[in-house]
Amino acid sequence: MEKLNIILNINNKPVDVRITPNDTLLEVLRDHLDLTGSKESCGEGVCGSCTVQLDGKPVRSCLTLALEAEGLKVRTVEGLADGDKLSPLQESFVNHGAVQCGFCTPGMLMTADALLQQNTNPDEDTIKKALSGNICRCTGYSKIVEAVAHTAHPDDQCPDCASGIKSCCKTKE
Amino acid sequence: MRLPQFDYKGPDTLEKALDLLSTHAQDAKILAGGTDLLVRMKKGLIAPKTIISLKALNELSYIKKDKNTIRIGARTCLADIIASDSVRKEATALSTACERVGAVTIQHFRGTIGGNILQDNRCFHYNQSAFHRSGRQACHKDGGKICYARDESDRCNSTCQSDGATALMALGAKLVLVSKGNERTVALTDFYTTDGIMPFAMEPTELLKEIIIPVEGGKSSYQRLAYRSAIDYPIVCAGVLLKASAKKDTIEDARIVVGAMGRAPLFLAKESSELKGKSFTDTKAFQKAGNGAMNSASTFAVHNVGSTLEYRCATVSEMVFRALQEAVAEASKA
Amino acid sequence: MSEYNVVGKRIPKIDAAQKAMGRAEYIQDVKLPGMLYGKILYSKHAHARITRMDLSKALALSGVYTILTGEDVPEKMRMGFYKDNPPLKKDKVFSFRDEVAAVAAKTPEIAKKALELIEIDYEVLPGIFDPEKAMEKDSPLVHENTKSNVLKLPWKLHYGDVDKAEKEAAFVVEGRFTTTWVTHCCMGTSGAVASFDAADNLTIYTNTQIPSLAQKDFLEALKAMGLKNKRARVIKPIIGGGFGSKLDTYAYEHIAILLAHKCRKPVKIVFDRPEEFIATSTRQPTVTHIKQGCDKNGKLLFRDIRMVLDNGAHTSWGATTPSVMMMPITSLYRVDNVRYDAKCVYTNNTYSQAMRGYGNPQATFAIESNIDMLAEKAGIDPIEFRRINRNHPGDVTPQNFKITTCGLDLCLDAVEKELRKSGTKEKGVGIGVASLIHVGGGARIYKSDGCGVIIKMDDYGKASVFTGGTDMGQGLDNITAQIVAEELGLLVEDVHVVHTDTDVCPWDVGAHASRSTFVAGNAALGAAKKIKAQLLELGSKELKTTPDSLMLKDRLIFVPGDPEKSMAIDKLLRKIHFSPGGTMLVSDHFFDPINENMGPDYKGNMSMTYTFGVHGVKVRVDEETGKVEVLEYVAAHDVGQAINPLLLEGQVYGGVVMGLGYALSEEVMHVNGKNMNPNFRDYKLFTAKDAVKIIAPVIQTPDKDGPFGAKGIGEPGCVPTAPAIANAIYDAVGVRITTLPITPEKVLAALMEKKKNH
Repeated sequence: MEKLNIILNINNKPVDVRITPNDTLLEVLRDHLDLTGSKESCGEGVCGSCTVQLDGKPVRSCLTLALEAEGLKVRTVEGLADGDKLSPLQESFVNHGAVQCGFCTPGMLMTADALLQQNTNPDEDTIKKALSGNICRCTGYSKIVEAVAHTAHPDDQCPDCASGIKSCCKTKE
Repeated sequence: MRLPQFDYKGPDTLEKALDLLSTHAQDAKILAGGTDLLVRMKKGLIAPKTIISLKALNELSYIKKDKNTIRIGARTCLADIIASDSVRKEATALSTACERVGAVTIQHFRGTIGGNILQDNRCFHYNQSAFHRSGRQACHKDGGKICYARDESDRCNSTCQSDGATALMALGAKLVLVSKGNERTVALTDFYTTDGIMPFAMEPTELLKEIIIPVEGGKSSYQRLAYRSAIDYPIVCAGVLLKASAKKDTIEDARIVVGAMGRAPLFLAKESSELKGKSFTDTKAFQKAGNGAMNSASTFAVHNVGSTLEYRCATVSEMVFRALQEAVAEASKA
Repeated sequence: MSEYNVVGKRIPKIDAAQKAMGRAEYIQDVKLPGMLYGKILYSKHAHARITRMDLSKALALSGVYTILTGEDVPEKMRMGFYKDNPPLKKDKVFSFRDEVAAVAAKTPEIAKKALELIEIDYEVLPGIFDPEKAMEKDSPLVHENTKSNVLKLPWKLHYGDVDKAEKEAAFVVEGRFTTTWVTHCCMGTSGAVASFDAADNLTIYTNTQIPSLAQKDFLEALKAMGLKNKRARVIKPIIGGGFGSKLDTYAYEHIAILLAHKCRKPVKIVFDRPEEFIATSTRQPTVTHIKQGCDKNGKLLFRDIRMVLDNGAHTSWGATTPSVMMMPITSLYRVDNVRYDAKCVYTNNTYSQAMRGYGNPQATFAIESNIDMLAEKAGIDPIEFRRINRNHPGDVTPQNFKITTCGLDLCLDAVEKELRKSGTKEKGVGIGVASLIHVGGGARIYKSDGCGVIIKMDDYGKASVFTGGTDMGQGLDNITAQIVAEELGLLVEDVHVVHTDTDVCPWDVGAHASRSTFVAGNAALGAAKKIKAQLLELGSKELKTTPDSLMLKDRLIFVPGDPEKSMAIDKLLRKIHFSPGGTMLVSDHFFDPINENMGPDYKGNMSMTYTFGVHGVKVRVDEETGKVEVLEYVAAHDVGQAINPLLLEGQVYGGVVMGLGYALSEEVMHVNGKNMNPNFRDYKLFTAKDAVKIIAPVIQTPDKDGPFGAKGIGEPGCVPTAPAIANAIYDAVGVRITTLPITPEKVLAALMEKKKNH
């Protein structure tokens, strides 16, 4: 089949890849580029585990042709932290117990990060609505919602922060 | 899950797209957001040789408001429609319907209004993996001669579960279809065939370009039932449009449409016209309309969307009733 | 709150940061050099004879290395609780999930294409899909070598005199309750990579909750393959969810082993989502007839239960879930007269396995729904009724369970307080409660209920802890680290927990029965105590004092109140290592709880302690659509001592939402044995928008046998959810739904039926 060379902009770096038209963005990330942070769980756009950002918007990479990501800024979970320094959202996920098995986490983070870019002050309903396309089986969602809310409202107290261990209230300093 | 192989075309003008469509007609599929098409391809339901992507056709992404209409480009993403004040105000049912589609993460550039209208009909027995389907005789939609949803049926009874189409039909919308050298406008009510194999009365060379919504001061509402608050297709839905009399206490004109109950959204002409002249407070009339909806819809519906037929028939009346009440509430406010 | 430094603290999950950065390696991410991809072909029929197989076209496909069928499976390679299920079926298939062939190819695409080219002819046989019908005399037989579809695995107990108690009872109610198939839906699908070294030793990367028992299964597989005296090493990548799904070895693991050995290359098999739905095991479906009675004061007199279990076509652990169902049946509330009779019946459906709660959710649904019916008949408030009959510390139940600590009364109080906060009753709104008992101190399912831990101290004051326990996201790594850090006066980051490799980790029977915190935690505590004793002994020489005057805290060893007598622990360790005639600090501990296997009469104190809990819920029922909206949810649990409240809440919240799915929306739909909704679109998991805020009062009843007083809490969160919901719906609109899930269809149908009768 026809092979194509394209240049993708992934986490602010141009990357050459040789693909076929039926390669999804998820396959290119995982199989061609070893960026395995993005996960495939359902493969048909329901669960959101494969969510990446295209030009800042959360998108299911399992239903995105790699070809169609050309010319857009692709951001994956690997692009959230600054080296080993977690982003405030990642930090908040960690500290609020929003991560259990962790398989949904990359997709959740990309969706939540996109929300916070758009809306720095989302209320609980807005967060739930934004995350409603990302399935999690471990947490029952509460702690994920709390983690996102807390990133947006760093001054609010929650039991996790109040305990004084690695307070996420302080990460935004 | 892997996609099958195909050739990819990414025309950057409508003209080029129509050229490609006219050449590849039978073997080509249009890719807008991909949430319906790519899933069907992954399941092996279709394997088009050519994919013509609308990605570069920004000219098909717009919402234009003039005196009597709202015109929406077919590639406009659902998020833009949800964000549009004029749609929210003058075509509320569409705004609500778009909000119910998938989840927020699907509503922007993956989910388009054209794709929502043209999403293929679904059936519990058909929307399965290739392996699942290979273990039995093919159904009508799969190229065979039987229907698993309704015994002895000579045609496909797959269900249209488009939120957008139901709302738009209630709003009296028209579609603009273009092909090389041709353009025609068709009312959404006339857009459906009587067979779920190819539910849309459109040529393979045609492309949905635009949706025209007449806005004449009516109030509309959209109601749907699904198991979950997100990522679910409706199992039953209803859209209504009401025009109030000058005094804002009686119904001058009404349109009632029910969806997810058959091969296409169903415009209930009789029940709609019976509401003319009825008072805003005549809940009995609304109930009667609801019951009429149930009777009409139950002749078409089959058990094929994962919820029992009895349940869908029992609740379609309630959806109509609620939509009417909501529209009346809005109309009396206005 | 406590005198502890690390225990009881909300310490974030140790591996959360690597997961949040997308660096964690799951089975999906494992790649070995030269690796091939395996794919499995399943049966096209629920029950059929294989009459012809032609592999020639598939074998001719470029990139295909090998294809295996039932003919290639060694005679003794068998899986499951009965060891009656070969990984590839020969001659006959018994259900749609039966594996008939497997391919190894260069790419997953080629492997998939090869499956499509395999030609198989079947002679279709009549299938049987209803367990109650399968018990009838003229039913077709699933296995021709048996006389009846009823398994020779009767679960039968009778304590006291049920018939007499029934006669004496002032109030008696009965009911029929059914539960259906639901499945784990781990976000990370199942998979394995099998690889042989030059000397035929196996290394298998696999998602498992039972590394040591899986190792045993794989060693038996090697033996069956004629590979004697070979090693099997099980490496667990990070697991994308367990919930009981990984408590047995599966066909795909054995197939990966066979393919890898045949091709002499590593072979990876990873399921896609539909395959995960179809080819992994579900929670055990049940049909329950229950009768309970009480005296005029509401004292529960007897409980009489008959149950039919759909065993599916093969026998796995689902068939043993009655052993755990017996727990609530004999021991939830004080009840002296109990009869229980369960039959497992073969059908051509999928077979079941362990899933969070292991039978307890099914039994509790029947018991706790029926308790509300009884309370109503007796004219007693349902919470009060439960209070009258609650268990007490010191009780010995009819099954000989010794209740040590029991916070059921406090849980009832906590739930009642929350639920009754908003007083007035709106139309269509109702409240419901349900209680639970679960094992909290291990569960002696096997001959052993033990777990081993080895601790090795290094030069820098760090502890490497090798545990037999398994983390699959629930936090065993944290619990282990917190316990060891507490005991050794270290910080959590000083403790490195290794739980991933059978070559270095000691033996354990697996992450099940909410046992990890209690058993693996006690094992870690035992090993840490031995290190502590050595540190104190050696430290006392360095600091010229007695061991018992020393303390370990904040990385220091010191005599409290004497600043002269203090030393950094790492410095002490270096002294111990770098001295002539020095020594090293390594300890091991094997903890096997003092609990009992059930005897022939099913009596025996299965667990060292029991966990109790009460869930309360407020719902609103839409009477026109039957939709149930959960308005409030309170889940109070008696946890002994919370080692880590953050993770504890995670278990409760996650368990409750899983339970809500079980109660309201989840169902694997089967039509004549065929799974009709093998995807997340049609299998209805709750989304963030559907989930509710959960109030989770933690009742601390420190248990003398638990590590720092802790009891297990992994499973209880999803045990009483369904009956609490069912009871609330009854309270709200007066209809009792007795089949799960409680879909809007069922509620509306019941409401319409009720209207008709009035």
